[in-house]
Amino acid sequence: MQMLKVEHLYKGFDGKPVLKNVSFELNKGEVLAVIGPSGSGKSTLLRCLNLLEKVDSGNVTVAGETMCYTDQSGKVVYAPGNTLRSIRLKLGMVFQSFNLFPHFSVLRNITEAPMRVAKMPREQAEKAAMELLEKMGMSDKADAYPYQLSGGQCQRVAIARALAMKPDILLFDEPTSALDPQLTIEVLKVIRLLAAEHMTMMVVTHEMNFARDVADRAIFMHDGEILEEGNAREVLTNPTHEKTKAFLRGFNEI
Amino acid sequence: MINFTDWESTTKLLRYLAEGSVTTLKVFFLTLLFSLPLGLIVALGRMSKHWWLREPIKLYILIMRGTPLLLQLVFIYYGPYYILPKWLNFSYDRFVAAILAFSLNYAAYFAEIYRGGIESISLGQYEAAWVLGFTRVQTFFRIVLPQVIKRILPATSNEVITLVKDTALVHTIGVSELFRVAKNEAARTLAVTPIFVAGLFYLVMNWVVTKVFEMAEKKLDYYR
Ligand SMILES: Nc1ncnc2c1ncn2[C@@H]1O[C@H](COP(=O)(O)OP(=O)(O)O)[C@@H](O)[C@H]1O
Ligand SMILES: [Mg+2]
Repeated sequence: MQMLKVEHLYKGFDGKPVLKNVSFELNKGEVLAVIGPSGSGKSTLLRCLNLLEKVDSGNVTVAGETMCYTDQSGKVVYAPGNTLRSIRLKLGMVFQSFNLFPHFSVLRNITEAPMRVAKMPREQAEKAAMELLEKMGMSDKADAYPYQLSGGQCQRVAIARALAMKPDILLFDEPTSALDPQLTIEVLKVIRLLAAEHMTMMVVTHEMNFARDVADRAIFMHDGEILEEGNAREVLTNPTHEKTKAFLRGFNEI
Repeated sequence: MINFTDWESTTKLLRYLAEGSVTTLKVFFLTLLFSLPLGLIVALGRMSKHWWLREPIKLYILIMRGTPLLLQLVFIYYGPYYILPKWLNFSYDRFVAAILAFSLNYAAYFAEIYRGGIESISLGQYEAAWVLGFTRVQTFFRIVLPQVIKRILPATSNEVITLVKDTALVHTIGVSELFRVAKNEAARTLAVTPIFVAGLFYLVMNWVVTKVFEMAEKKLDYYR
């Protein structure tokens, strides 16, 4: 089943093109890795999908619901507000910088959206949150505040917070780029766990080994374009495009 | 000199001063009651992306912060009489004028404090809330404002301490608050004691204000 369909997406900032004719699909239970040099538009792509940015043109469909399409005159048309709201709830997002709410405890960071947005009763929300924390290996931190946690713990709480809204697709924007290697491992372990449970995910990452092992498919972005797309192992070990090869070579040299 | 053994005149003096203090407290609390929420609205308008909202509010803040409060007080109380058609013979309660002038003035100062606080919250906080499905209003009141309040407490405390002392200004339009009463009593009795007692009152009031803010800061100390 198709969870995400993106066709001919264009996006520019102040006339400067940042996404050029981006098209791809994501099926249910699939993990898609997005790789590419800095500035190639990976974050912008995620931000267009979860409505933090508006596209200039193109069609986006999320779990069968049309988010936006381009009409004959080339004008992009977004779905009405309530459809966009329901689409937004189908997408979870994990940021590079965690963005936990510092004034809420770990537990409340996770329960706030289920209670205020999904109107879930407190007990149910807290029970679900504790289960998620258990899965993240963080049951003992429910009452801690974000400032008391390591970066890796913060990111795991952020993942739990996103999962608490039961999204159909989880988007990750370089979830481990702010972490040192030890903490990176903790977070990647959790993402592997989700992959094993067939959570549909789109992960922007510079962890090439992780992408190769965990992702089903991979996209290589360069200058706002998808230059290469395919089986993750294939793209990451045996790329066809010169730019992909150069990019991966740069990684292996480090 | 006041003779403190003269029981009758002492109690009378204290009663006058107490009445003045009540007026002072009224000016203080009513100003806070109106200017704190108004300041938030002004701050939001000041940060609007619509120039027709933002620019007039910038001008308002400029005037409120750029001219003496004393002048604003006099202008707001006497101004309408001169500006409005004479046959209206407009006049209004001096106390109302005092609250109006103070609220408008302090709202401008609070607005700039709020703005500083709001602008210090990272965009990541808003985006994290939006992608979780919070509305803009929920995001502001549940995620942003609580963090803003913690950050602006010290600056707000300063402003409130200034307000305690500024209340004395309303005597210029004839409101019988503490300072005016003390000055009159000092002149009448040829003694400095009333002024001294009034000074003590302002000091105690500011001690209380300082304590209240210290407690609030401590209460919000559970996170960073
Ligand atoms: N809000 C913005 N305004 C202007 N330019 C932007 C903005 N966000 C991103 N860009 C530009 O778009 C390009 C792609 O950025 P980004 O999507 O962050 O790339 P990546 O995540 O692959 O590093 C960069 O050139 C960046 O400078
Ligand atoms: Mg990026």
